[in-house]
Amino acid sequence: MTRKKHIWIVGLFVIFIWIAAAYAQSPDFKKNIYPVEQLKPTDSVLKVKVGGLAPDFTLPAVRGGKITLSQYRGKKNVVISFVPAAWTPVCSDQWPGYNIAKDFFDQSDAILLGITVDNIPTLYAWTNQMCMGSGNLWFPVLSDFYPHGAVASKYGVLRSDGVSERSLFVIDKKGIIRYLDVHDINKRPKLEVLVGELQKLEK
Amino acid sequence: MNELYRIMQAKKDLNNKMKLIGIGTGNSDFEVDFFRKKYEVPFPLFSDEDYSIHKALGEVRTPYFIGVRLKSDGSSEVFYSKLGGFKDADKFLKMMRELSGL
Repeated sequence: MTRKKHIWIVGLFVIFIWIAAAYAQSPDFKKNIYPVEQLKPTDSVLKVKVGGLAPDFTLPAVRGGKITLSQYRGKKNVVISFVPAAWTPVCSDQWPGYNIAKDFFDQSDAILLGITVDNIPTLYAWTNQMCMGSGNLWFPVLSDFYPHGAVASKYGVLRSDGVSERSLFVIDKKGIIRYLDVHDINKRPKLEVLVGELQKLEK
Repeated sequence: MNELYRIMQAKKDLNNKMKLIGIGTGNSDFEVDFFRKKYEVPFPLFSDEDYSIHKALGEVRTPYFIGVRLKSDGSSEVFYSKLGGFKDADKFLKMMRELSGL
């Protein structure tokens, strides 16, 4: 007689967006994320192109002081990440992702500049909450608040409602745009695409 | 999570009856693979790039735990479903064992 075995297997599923698991992010943070409906994927006309010189700018940084794009000329490759707004769903995943992917930027001798059209106090609160318990963001976060969206407008990524596109610009040490992606605002760009572009750069 | 997995593996009386898997909601294979290496995750991780698993399970926020009892007749039963991580892996495992009956 075969003894019937009652095998009980317990599957524990942990579901995470990588930032969440990495930072044990507080669920309270998510309560502060403003729900956004599906938006028109893009809503602006680019004013720059791959192979062209990236327009220079100077913007205030959340941690104080100002940062000018051309200060990296000859020193660092630069990735600019415009995200639409603080406290919105996709943006609150995208930058924490870059924060744990610092190695990829280092390997390509690149700095990341995060930019939104929000003012400094808002960015201060948002980025602090984003990284609660995990230290700081390693990259500068810049405010393109006043004159409103001036830098986003210079690049042609300011949408008609005043927020910027979810867009990435990879700029080499000579200040030339090597890659750009004006992404569907509703979706987070995949890390592997950016990493692939970074790997094409001269270190 | 890594500690929870290690404790689970060390418990001989569990006899490999308890499994732990992770799902990267909205993450690509590349992202999940990067995450696995960076944090030396010893248990299986799966990508859910198109959010299909996430949608099937009710579009929960993260981190979210679901405990499922798989019965020998092929049916299953959810015994735990909760938002948020845990601080003490020992206590969490004890609670899971009480709830699951393992």
